[in-house]
Amino acid sequence: MRMKLDRRTFLAGSSALAILPFARHARAAGRTNPIIALDADIGNLDPGNRVGTTEGNIIRSVCQTLVRFEPGKTSWTNDAAKEIKQVSDTEFEFELNPGQMFTGGFGEMTADDVKYSFDRYINGDSNGKKLAYADDMEALKSVEVTGKYTGKLILKHPSAALWLIGICDASGAILSRKAVEQLGDKIATTLIGSGPMVLKEWRPKEQFVLAANADYKGPYKAHFQEITGKIIPEHKTSFLSYQAKELDFTAFDADQLDTAKGLPDTSVIDRPGIDYTWIGINVQKGDLADPRVRQAIRWAIDVDAIIQGAYSGATSRARTLLAPGLLGNWADAPLYTRDLAKAQALLAESGKTDLTFTFTCLNDATSLAVAQIAQANLAEVGIALTINAMDSGAYWALGADNASKDLELTLIPYTSKFDPSFQTQWFLASQIGLWNWQGWNSPEFDKLHQEGLETLDKAKREAIYISMQKLLDESASCIWITHGRNFFVNTAWLKPMFLPSGKDWQFEFFDKA
Amino acid sequence: MSGLVATLKGICSEREGRLGLAFTCLILVFALAGPLVSPDPNVIDVKARFAAPGLAHLLGTDNLGRDLLARTSAGTRYALTLAVMIVVISSVIGSLIGIVAGIAGGWVDRAVTAVFDIVNAFPPLILAFALIALYGKGSATFVLLVTVVFIPQFGRMARARAQTLRNLSFIEAERMLAVHPVTIVVRHYLPNVAGPIIVLASMNLPVVIAFEASLSFLGFGVQPPKSSLGTLIKDGFISINQSWWPTVASALVLAIATLGATLLGEALRRVIDPKTAGVR
Repeated sequence: MRMKLDRRTFLAGSSALAILPFARHARAAGRTNPIIALDADIGNLDPGNRVGTTEGNIIRSVCQTLVRFEPGKTSWTNDAAKEIKQVSDTEFEFELNPGQMFTGGFGEMTADDVKYSFDRYINGDSNGKKLAYADDMEALKSVEVTGKYTGKLILKHPSAALWLIGICDASGAILSRKAVEQLGDKIATTLIGSGPMVLKEWRPKEQFVLAANADYKGPYKAHFQEITGKIIPEHKTSFLSYQAKELDFTAFDADQLDTAKGLPDTSVIDRPGIDYTWIGINVQKGDLADPRVRQAIRWAIDVDAIIQGAYSGATSRARTLLAPGLLGNWADAPLYTRDLAKAQALLAESGKTDLTFTFTCLNDATSLAVAQIAQANLAEVGIALTINAMDSGAYWALGADNASKDLELTLIPYTSKFDPSFQTQWFLASQIGLWNWQGWNSPEFDKLHQEGLETLDKAKREAIYISMQKLLDESASCIWITHGRNFFVNTAWLKPMFLPSGKDWQFEFFDKA
Repeated sequence: MSGLVATLKGICSEREGRLGLAFTCLILVFALAGPLVSPDPNVIDVKARFAAPGLAHLLGTDNLGRDLLARTSAGTRYALTLAVMIVVISSVIGSLIGIVAGIAGGWVDRAVTAVFDIVNAFPPLILAFALIALYGKGSATFVLLVTVVFIPQFGRMARARAQTLRNLSFIEAERMLAVHPVTIVVRHYLPNVAGPIIVLASMNLPVVIAFEASLSFLGFGVQPPKSSLGTLIKDGFISINQSWWPTVASALVLAIATLGATLLGEALRRVIDPKTAGVR
């Protein structure tokens, strides 16, 4: 094919080329509904068996809870509940607003739906299997229905955590009994709610679309007709997409802070994190069962180099499980600065040689950088690491069906809530085979966890959680890396909203700036 | 020896051949001399991350402060080693299977052709994902995978040649004289098949190099801390805001390697097998 270049063609081509750089800006500027990036896909939409924050964020916007977090705060106000009355430390009466309709034609919400939703945490799912997030509602003894819209929450013991991490959060989502019974196992992929938004579309590993729920009767109507969430596991990729105006909101990695600050029409959000990333060591696995090997690994890994190399020095090093600012933060926790002599002495004492372990992590750039630094560090004391980088779907599937039993060393990023019991619950013996990937079993830790749940006195709770972290430290099963720092960029016209942790996004409160 | 000189002369007789030979030699020198002039490619120095090219690090450093010259050289060495290994293994196995099918004919020929068709029916990347899911990531899986993909190409070429030779009078004569079939294969079939197979092998080298880089780019190839041109490009792309040279350096090396091997292969085809020159 021959191309004829005449004056007209040249002018048309030149004009098109000149317009091209502005086309994407025009497209972004013309958007009325935001497109945002999430680093993990939806795994399980059953509130009690959700996998991570993606589902939690969706569930909170699609379902109603008795009380809902206020925009950007950990305080709450009534949502599905018209009124909640505290009768005693262990008894609460609630009355629902009438006319709150479930989507999909599943009818009006009643007190029986509340009982059904919460009973699943007490009795397990339809097969009697314990829900993954059952401990969020640990304090709940029963729910009594006293009328169409009224009922009582009966607690086993006074609880400071129940409202904060249970009833107010995704675990407290009120489901339709009729819908759950009809959907069966499909509840993992279908979300029926009565909240401000509906899950209009979900294309796995690609995107989901949340749309405003036209039938929502409550006070928190969604500000956008639609919010599209693109699944982009790699922050660096989503940041590039943001720069190309394909996105309006995304998290980004610390090493791109300077670039983000220089972007036009962009707001940069920088939040100290309360999450916790650590290298978990499976105490039940072969040579790792020897505490001296675990201690040697802890002395050999250079966490400061990890902070510098993998996180660009933009976040600080974690000393312990609970982040500064949270109840129970162990400020005096020991800091293990790399000491090869100690590591080698411990390995010699253990008599183990030619050690080879698998280091499992997510396949994002930061996790791979952590893995490679740990690999280089441990090679210096004669421990060979094979890196097993997994995509997020396969990685988080390790939290079910005892799939974690063969893990050895694992880089684990968990998100936090504002009550310490949420963090400590993942280290309980009952979580082995689920989310306790260290396989660590301490009856004393479990007992203290229970005490922490049942204690209301703040000072006593603080002492309990510090004791628990000391036990974790003695086990040498966790090498704490960082509590993270959350960075986000958003286009100037968008006002995102999230809880102070930075990870719990409130799609229903996303608004135009 | 005179044959080699004649081939080299033939390659150098055209501009593309000279360029291909020069690029290939350059890449070979880069891959082999890398360890002599640069440090260990896996040594991490986080204080020197994203260092610009300079005297200490001629191509700069990556996100973990590793020397990029060393890593690019190691990645090139890895790609070339794999490519040569795969091409040699698949050409030997493919040629033998093809010759046997061509000589035997009948159901043996039909069975071999059917297997080749089945293998060819799978797009290489899909086959790669399936084999990786079965056997896991790593160099051994990669060699197995690409060898399996390339065997039919060599097999078909050898089979076609063998079928042509089978009915020629000098082969008939040897058979009539009760010469052992293996002797006939070694004496007549292999030398006649070798030329086109060598040409095909040289044409497949850049394909294997690019395929390895693609799989590594997607995270299914070489595993850390080893480097590959694909992982270097990917890591560089992810950190392109911090430094552009990791991506540019490794992409340039990949481009030179594949272009050089392609041009050299074309030139080799013109010299060794002029009948098929220009045919793809």
